[in-house]
Amino acid sequence: MNLELTWRLLKGGGRRGLLGTWLTLGAVAVATALLLFAVTANFAFQSRGERDAWRNPVPAGSAATAVQAARFDYVRDRRLVVVDVAALPGRAPAPPPGLDRFPAPGQTWLSPALAALARELPADQFAARFPAVAGQLGEEALAYPGELVAVVGHRPDAPVMTAERSDDWVVGRPPTRVADFTGRVSEDAQAYQVLALIASVLMVVPLLVFGGAAARLTVARRDQRLATLRLVGATPGQVVGMTVAEAVIVAFAGAVAGTVAYAAAVPLLTRIEIGGGPWYAGDLWPHPLLLAGTLVAVPLLVGLSAVAGLRRVVVSPLGVARRQTPPGMRVLRVLTLLAVLAAFPLVGLEPSATVIAVAIALALLSLNLAGPWVVGLIGRITAAFARGPALLLAGRRLVDDPRSAWRTVSGVALTGFVAGFLGMLSPGAFSSGASDAVFRLAVPEGRPAVVAERARERMRDAGLAARVEQAKKLVTVTVTGIAAPATGDPARGDTARGDTARGDTAAGEGAAGDGDAVDAAVVDRTRTALAGLVPGWTPTSEADDQRFGFQLLADVRVGTVVVLAVSFLVAIASAGITAASSVLDRRQTYGLLRLAGTPLTVLDRARRAETLIPLTVMGGGTIAAGVFCATPFMLGAPNLSGAVMLGVCVALGFAGVLGAGALTRPLLVAVTTDPSPRPD
Amino acid sequence: MNDVLAGRALAKRFGRTVALGGVDLAVAAAEAVAIMGPSGSGKSTLLHCLAGIMKPDAGEVHLLGQRIDDLGERKRSALRRTRFGFVFQFGQLLPELPAEENVALPLMLGGVARQDAVRTARQWFGPLGLGGMEGRRPGELSGGQAQRVAIARALVTKPAMVFADEPTGALDQTTGHETMRLLVEVTKHNGASLLVVTHDPDVAAWCDRTVEVRDGRLLTGGVAA
Repeated sequence: MNLELTWRLLKGGGRRGLLGTWLTLGAVAVATALLLFAVTANFAFQSRGERDAWRNPVPAGSAATAVQAARFDYVRDRRLVVVDVAALPGRAPAPPPGLDRFPAPGQTWLSPALAALARELPADQFAARFPAVAGQLGEEALAYPGELVAVVGHRPDAPVMTAERSDDWVVGRPPTRVADFTGRVSEDAQAYQVLALIASVLMVVPLLVFGGAAARLTVARRDQRLATLRLVGATPGQVVGMTVAEAVIVAFAGAVAGTVAYAAAVPLLTRIEIGGGPWYAGDLWPHPLLLAGTLVAVPLLVGLSAVAGLRRVVVSPLGVARRQTPPGMRVLRVLTLLAVLAAFPLVGLEPSATVIAVAIALALLSLNLAGPWVVGLIGRITAAFARGPALLLAGRRLVDDPRSAWRTVSGVALTGFVAGFLGMLSPGAFSSGASDAVFRLAVPEGRPAVVAERARERMRDAGLAARVEQAKKLVTVTVTGIAAPATGDPARGDTARGDTARGDTAAGEGAAGDGDAVDAAVVDRTRTALAGLVPGWTPTSEADDQRFGFQLLADVRVGTVVVLAVSFLVAIASAGITAASSVLDRRQTYGLLRLAGTPLTVLDRARRAETLIPLTVMGGGTIAAGVFCATPFMLGAPNLSGAVMLGVCVALGFAGVLGAGALTRPLLVAVTTDPSPRPD
Repeated sequence: MNDVLAGRALAKRFGRTVALGGVDLAVAAAEAVAIMGPSGSGKSTLLHCLAGIMKPDAGEVHLLGQRIDDLGERKRSALRRTRFGFVFQFGQLLPELPAEENVALPLMLGGVARQDAVRTARQWFGPLGLGGMEGRRPGELSGGQAQRVAIARALVTKPAMVFADEPTGALDQTTGHETMRLLVEVTKHNGASLLVVTHDPDVAAWCDRTVEVRDGRLLTGGVAA
């Protein structure tokens, strides 16, 4: 019977009642869509990590069937992964993922994007590095669509499979005897998963707060009616049951709508480039269990929040039917926040992903706990010093219902914490202007002279102007452009430096000076000319060496922008919905004040001040808290880009909340032009 | 003629429904007039037209000889704030403000400094039997006390006219009578006129004159005798 009555009340709520229901439904839909994104992102990074794990070999003893090594090469300023494999004598290893058979010596499999590049570019810029292409790699071999990967088959005793290589994972993987190509998740993939987890925590906590706020708004609109039900004899259980039923029905519809919205957004989300490239749509589809869990958990959470919001009605129906001075909030709320903030420097002593994630979650939750108390304090100060009616109204309202005011600004305030935290964590600017025309090649001891001579020959044969220098275990090739047409003996006279060998080729027209940038075609011709000169080693420029750092910087920025975009969406949606609900809740008072001649501007100014004052104080406070919490993890001094990002966040946050509030002005006009002074 | 407020041939329609069909009504200085009629008779619409809340489709409204129905919304709003006072059935007090600030609000809206406005507001509490309740919030007042605060708020700007729409509708009979007595007495004492909309003859009995509205037309007493 309760359910039937709830359904009748829900349907018969009138135009405004339905508007409120739609607002709640919209809020839950936004929260669900963003929640799915925040959670699925973790699984997406996990899938990506598992898919490229095969390139990270696990050493095997007597069970070994093959030898595997990996290195990075570059084409058109993009990194490509070259995996060298060789079957051990008498063994028949299963092919690596994405290959239909094990590559025979000399055979190469290219990823589709790399194959396309090989077709597009002249052979001397790329294709000549991999002459015998036997097939294309399947999706299961790639971390992301468009990834550049080559798998090259060798004999197990080929120099490339036996020569010493660096064991620095940033450079590649040395030859390893493996039992199969299962591999294990790489260190960088694990690092990305940790960052994704932290980002999820930063996104999920405000989302949960938002979801809870939406539920309480349902109650706020219904409390008068439910109080009446209590006054006519409904038991607390009946009131709770009806409220939960109503909240859950609306929340379930919202969760379904949010799921549909998320599904519609997946094609767009796959375009977010992070970790080197975009995403497969399958990575971003939530697992059916996760989906089912979300569709159950979101309505449940909303129902629980509704119960919490109803406590006042159930305990004392007159508490709602007749407004009284609200009880003061305990200072314990602020003490909790201060305790968490005080503990943050200790987290920095022994930072681990879990500890950081838990600490951030605690900081966000304690900020949310302290928020209403601080808003109440701000309200008391505002009311005490107000001279005009707008500020007086704003201050008194903040004191009257600090939780409601906090709900309006909490999204931006918590985003301020995220912005403050991430702004300070942005890596400092990497040095720019690194040369991509000077290639260095690690050379085994005693071989530099031979390698240098071969490098000169290859550069000459490729028609490239270059100066080749050698050191104890290093050969440096400085390419300066296209070689001038040969006139007799191509070799020039010796240079004065003792460590510079003879035979450098002179540059022709348009040549660059030493170390200056040369065009991409010349760079790729140089890479192709020098490919395989030292088995297992790729000639790299200073720009190549910095590529990893730039990638990390770019990924942190993309991640930050994504987290902030989600947080702002939540914040602005929250502000808009709360502002609209606030107008609906006070429509009778607003209407009567207008009838009595109160200018609309005063009401609007009061409404604006009611948001702007706590927003300024709390936004500033949470940004400062975010900066403070990030300090133990800062990579060097704060950088300009972080400060700029913070500034943009503050501006966007204010503009968004004020804009969302301004959008509800027509609603204010509508409720105040209603000539009937009686409540509906 | 010493009419403070006069409506002439007032007509108002809502779609096909005729709310007012050419009503003439005048209120003299310090006069208390009750408008009675059943639900849907047009009595509230008449009050809204006379108070400048609503523009009539036809007819004129004059305040102290000056036509007000053709003023723009901004000017009518200012007029309501400065020359009129309002008492409604319930809900007109701001629940967030203590009683004294509720009373002071119209003064502050008119530009009076907060301290002066609150000081002036407090002077109304004693005569209305509200001494000691200045700092209470509306939720901490009884229905009768809240209506007396509303009366103080309606009169604090020294208006020429006070409009009351079912001012005792939410009160028990005894409290209702006491509230009406105070409303009439204090309004007249301050030289203002009073127009009360009610369906209760006992409430109307407190006024100098009663006019009856039915189907958008005045049956009796449109002009002071």
